[in-house]
Amino acid sequence: MEYKDDNYYVEMVKSGQTAQYSYIVDKYKNIVFSIAMKVLKNREDAEEMAQESFIKAYKSLHTFKGSAKFSTWLYRITYNTCISELRKRKVHFTSTEEVQIKDEAQEMNLDGIPEENRAVVIKEAMSRLPEDEYTLVLLYYFEEQSIDEISRVTGLSESNAKVKLFRARKKLYTILNEIMKDELYTIL
Amino acid sequence: MNELEDIKLKVLLQKLELEKPDNDFTLRVMNRVVVEDNALEQIKAQKVLGKGFWIILVLFVILLAAIFIMSQTGTAAEGTETVLPKLNSEMSQGINSVLGKMGMVPISVAGILIASSLLLFIDRFITSNTKMFV
Repeated sequence: MEYKDDNYYVEMVKSGQTAQYSYIVDKYKNIVFSIAMKVLKNREDAEEMAQESFIKAYKSLHTFKGSAKFSTWLYRITYNTCISELRKRKVHFTSTEEVQIKDEAQEMNLDGIPEENRAVVIKEAMSRLPEDEYTLVLLYYFEEQSIDEISRVTGLSESNAKVKLFRARKKLYTILNEIMKDELYTIL
Repeated sequence: MNELEDIKLKVLLQKLELEKPDNDFTLRVMNRVVVEDNALEQIKAQKVLGKGFWIILVLFVILLAAIFIMSQTGTAAEGTETVLPKLNSEMSQGINSVLGKMGMVPISVAGILIASSLLLFIDRFITSNTKMFV
């Protein structure tokens, strides 16, 4: 099945072809669910909030003018929906496990991670990042969103998003270092 | 952190396996979309002005017409040759007359109108709240 540009499906849905919305849901469900899962830390809640995000997006689709990327618009809805849900439950949006950034983080050689372990290692490292930094890294590296787009999603200023992304990247390197050291000890 | 390392990190992160929702996730979202659509259609289909409003309006127009006709009975016997030149002045006289008679609508007619309005309102109120008692 050939996937067309998001705006094509958005226009189809706007013109009354509701069934076309399933293409959008299929395309973005994993990333929307991943963000929800990271923030809410519970599969059931994350599914509910991911669903809620898609419904909210559907209801306000007429307000989407296409000046920004559809994905940016959808992620902003997802992010805000999850944060609002956390606030409702009066849970603070902070990490339970703060990672200390180490100097050696900058010296991490990514080529040193064995090819066959890369997917597992990066998943493990990402899971240890706090919610907000996970979202920043995910959007910047995985979704290849620009700093401007990330600032629109998260509501941060561009400079703040840059600083936070820099810190998140350092933390990720620190975590990757720790994982690789652990692996080395296991082998030895 | 140099640009090369940044690119390498990007390549590495592209291998990230995302969390996946249940298999029927899309289906559930689409079911809710249909429900939302139906709810929206129902709201659109609801008439803003109900039947009662139109009945009252028709009654009111009939009443106005009756008053107007009654006010003209005195001049109906006049010759038709004089009707056309007098049209403009009669129109304005007619309007004035209707407005004048409006002030003299018998209390009984007004009472009937108010009573019928009240009955229609009660009827609508009961109909709209029937679901609560089922």
